[in-house]
Amino acid sequence: MSESGENEGDVELVREVCANGVCMKTSEVEAKLDQGNIDEAESSLREGLSLNYEEARALLGRLEYQRGNLEGALRVFDGIDLQAAIHRLQPSLSEKPSSKKGRTKSDIPAQVSQHAASLVLEAIYLKAKSLQKLGRLTEAASECKSVLDAVESIFHQGIPDVQVDNRLQETVSQAVELLPELWKQAGCNQEASSAYRRALLSQWNLDNDCCARIQKGFAVFLLHSGVEAGPPSLASQVDGSYVPKNNLEEAILLLMILMRKHHLGKIKWDPSVMEHLSFALSLCSQTSVLAKQLEEMMPGVFPRVDRWNTLALCYGGAGQNKAALNLLRKSLHKHEQPDDLKALLLAAKICSEDLHIASEGVEYAQRAIINAKGKDEHLKGVALRMLGLCLGKQVKVSKSDSERSYLQSEALKSLNGAISFEHNNPDLLFDLGVQYAEQRNLNAALRCAKQFIDLTGGSLLKGWRLLTLVLSAQQRFTEAELVTDAALDEITKWEQGPLLRLKAKLKISQSKPMDAIDTYRSLLAIIQAQRKSFGPFKSVSEVEDDKVNEFEVWHGLATLYSRLSHWKDVEICLEKARELKQLSSEMLHTEGKNSKLFLAYKLLMFNFYVLGKPHRHVIDGKTSQADHMRGKKAKNCLSSLKKGVMCEGRGLTHDALSCYFNALLLEPYYVHCKIRAGALLFKMGPKALPVARSLLSDALTIEPTNRMAFYYMGLVHRDAGRLADAADYFQAASMLEESDPVESFSSF
Amino acid sequence: MSISDSPSSPTAAAAPAAAAAPDLASASIRSTFKAQSAIESLSSIITNVPDSPNPAFALLHDPEIASQISSLLRQPDAGTGNNNLCRWLYDTFQSTDPQLQLVVLRYLPIVAGIYLSRVTLRKPLAGFEAVLLALYAHETTSRSGQPVTVNIPDLSQPSIYHESKAPVKNNSMDLNLAVICPSLEPHGTVRSTRRARIVGVALELYHSKISQLPVASKIDFCEFCEAWAGGDQDVVVNGENGGESSSSSSSSGKLGKEEGRRIPLSWELMQPILRILGHCMLGPEVQQKNNNNNNNKQLFDAASCACKSLYARSLHDVNPKAMLATGSLLSLARLALDSNNDIDYTEIRMTNVISL
Repeated sequence: MSESGENEGDVELVREVCANGVCMKTSEVEAKLDQGNIDEAESSLREGLSLNYEEARALLGRLEYQRGNLEGALRVFDGIDLQAAIHRLQPSLSEKPSSKKGRTKSDIPAQVSQHAASLVLEAIYLKAKSLQKLGRLTEAASECKSVLDAVESIFHQGIPDVQVDNRLQETVSQAVELLPELWKQAGCNQEASSAYRRALLSQWNLDNDCCARIQKGFAVFLLHSGVEAGPPSLASQVDGSYVPKNNLEEAILLLMILMRKHHLGKIKWDPSVMEHLSFALSLCSQTSVLAKQLEEMMPGVFPRVDRWNTLALCYGGAGQNKAALNLLRKSLHKHEQPDDLKALLLAAKICSEDLHIASEGVEYAQRAIINAKGKDEHLKGVALRMLGLCLGKQVKVSKSDSERSYLQSEALKSLNGAISFEHNNPDLLFDLGVQYAEQRNLNAALRCAKQFIDLTGGSLLKGWRLLTLVLSAQQRFTEAELVTDAALDEITKWEQGPLLRLKAKLKISQSKPMDAIDTYRSLLAIIQAQRKSFGPFKSVSEVEDDKVNEFEVWHGLATLYSRLSHWKDVEICLEKARELKQLSSEMLHTEGKNSKLFLAYKLLMFNFYVLGKPHRHVIDGKTSQADHMRGKKAKNCLSSLKKGVMCEGRGLTHDALSCYFNALLLEPYYVHCKIRAGALLFKMGPKALPVARSLLSDALTIEPTNRMAFYYMGLVHRDAGRLADAADYFQAASMLEESDPVESFSSF
Repeated sequence: MSISDSPSSPTAAAAPAAAAAPDLASASIRSTFKAQSAIESLSSIITNVPDSPNPAFALLHDPEIASQISSLLRQPDAGTGNNNLCRWLYDTFQSTDPQLQLVVLRYLPIVAGIYLSRVTLRKPLAGFEAVLLALYAHETTSRSGQPVTVNIPDLSQPSIYHESKAPVKNNSMDLNLAVICPSLEPHGTVRSTRRARIVGVALELYHSKISQLPVASKIDFCEFCEAWAGGDQDVVVNGENGGESSSSSSSSGKLGKEEGRRIPLSWELMQPILRILGHCMLGPEVQQKNNNNNNNKQLFDAASCACKSLYARSLHDVNPKAMLATGSLLSLARLALDSNNDIDYTEIRMTNVISL
């Protein structure tokens, strides 16, 4: 009872009670109260200040309460029949039900009666407070509730905001705010949430700060109480307005309203509101909405670097890497905070996913390594990993062999260095495995893939895929197939698509076309079943990772049948594929060389698949403009390639070439297009050979393990009469074929 | 795995509950009876079962029962298919009595914690899996195949809490729809790629009942979170503004290596974990002013330790979403400890002159 101790000190300060223009000292009254003579104290007040019974009791109660004498206060209040007092107030004040708005203004006895009401309500409120302090929470809550019930029954129209008695309003506001707190303290969560709703949805004429406190309190309660509040009552729902249907929605709505109120200058800044909102929205994976909230914030609330970094996290969390990186570039500028470790790591991570900016990422990662010291030393492994990833990406745009081998060894060194910090991090092992595989160090890759599966307990599909691909690159097809089968056991039917496709390819590699056909069939069955039941509510990640392109499947099957010379089946598959992509139909009719064109199409669709992958959020339906542009570019690029293939098939060599070059202008790193253009030029005769050669060597720089590029390069050299070089290239092509996985490693 | 394939799966189990509804008195007798028989079968598994007039309450709150069950669950050979305790948990949950189901949920942190930490060691854990699958199946049925979604509000549209001057758009599909949990498929076994989802859904069920569960269970959960995050590096987390800094390396010794270890934390696990931790740090019980309940203080501390470890983990994974969520929780914990915000606005103004 430390509080009452404090109030004991205050007793000396409570000197006077005033009423009806008369004041009197309290010492005498207090002495009587201390002796337990409530009645005497009451009568001396009534005489001294000419009060009635209730007024005197109310004053006494307040006096006791301020003195910290809570039991005493309760005894005093118990002497007033508060219910009767309320009842008396009702007829005098309550409007006729038919009365119109504005009627309250002309309500003449309002002043007097408000005063009486204020007296009674304050008494009940203080009773509730006393009970609360004594730990009798349920009783306190029901007293407090009766204050609100009384207000509602006295003021049918809500409290008139004009001419309202200050003291009355204060009591009402406090009671409104206290009630949910009391229920919470009493552990009655359902009552608490309805008290909050009552506070916020009825007209109490609360001031901005009080209302904001209640809104925040309710939002926090909704987020963290673990009790579903249920939908608000129908009475509160206005037609056309948004009605939250669960705790998270309601909490987010309230927090957003609080943010808006702060923007409008109605309430002062409360940092916890932003933190709660940030928690709630990231829980829903809606960090882009959070970014919008941050952007709407007035300058000066946050230091700008903090704001940029948080925004970058938001955009990064929403997959809008470009926006995130632009913000990080600002915050990592040398005049801002160039050594912020978190920002450096995020920037490096973003750069590691795009080969054009991988070199920028290398710089961030190196700075991160330098700054990972002291209390942040545990992040050194992360920085090394990011460095390794960026270097590994940079390999793909390296200009010379020497640079490439240097970068490759540096990448491996960094990743291995990171392992020594985080030996139990499976993601790191996976990255290392992919890096080894891309460098065709297949044994090491195999070891990493196995370890990854062990550490994750086989819970991630990508581990199984890596192991299969590495085994297939080692030409161990039977084992690869066993792995695929094991993986298929661990995966639900819906997600088996990518693995079945892999399995079909493995069957083909083993020259078991009939088995491959069976596999394709089950794959198609899954795709079709999926198409029927694919509601909008499948989680986004499932949509991204597991959808196998149906067009591609029909194609694989058509090629397979054509190898078996089952022309009728080929025709059927092509027909199916055609239904999916109408654009190809005319062209295919005019051209007789179905198989060749389809091969080209297959290539094209595969490219689409690969290119389409970085733009995942496009599927998400929240396409940002920048991404939209990129998607458009990729589409244009593809249509150019398509046109080129078509022209080539018709024998329109020059048109085909110009289409290829158009595609390359749009997407300069488009390997398949380069190879096609190179191959076409090679066919055009000796004059074009140097150009063909430079295109192909470009392609090889970007993708040093592309055996088609090596093959055409060999042809170019042969025709130019450099037989030794040609032999080298052919040999490389055939070696690569021997270590070629059934699907490219860069698809990870 | 034999248990989970038994026919007494959730659909069959829902029927008696519905039948019991009309007669409340007989329902309560039946539930006491069920609790009594649960206690009886438990007494063959643990050595000391205290007598209690309210068996369901004792099962949930009795510290002696809890400590015996907990230590059995933590045994190195716990969780096998023929483990009696797992079978008891399974049967108790299948009793469909809400009070008894709470008892099973109370041990979910340990079951899930040990299971996820040991599953990569290729140990037989069919007993744990059966319990987890039972919880998953229960939640799948009660959601009746519906996904859990959140419509992110747009303030330009008026709501029950605010008005908006902008014309009301009828097209409510403009709202951002966030899928919290997709529709669930039934699972008879735990496939490794579905493991995180199954445990995640079980944790969502735990969260939905969390206000009725004892504090000790929540503390167990926080300790496992810390282990899952992989606290064996010397992780030091500093406050956003260089505020408090503390090392969690010392506290990672709370759980032995065998009990908890770093696991892959996909979002399907992280999301329920974060919600539970949010409750443990900022729930109404924990955040009460003038709170002299030592248990709650302990819970708050355990939750903030877990949160620090998860924040460090999200930095290691460079996972922006997790960084935001855990970072916010940590800042909120700091703000909650800050006593400056403790003005009680419901207190009346203390004046020297009391007037009428």
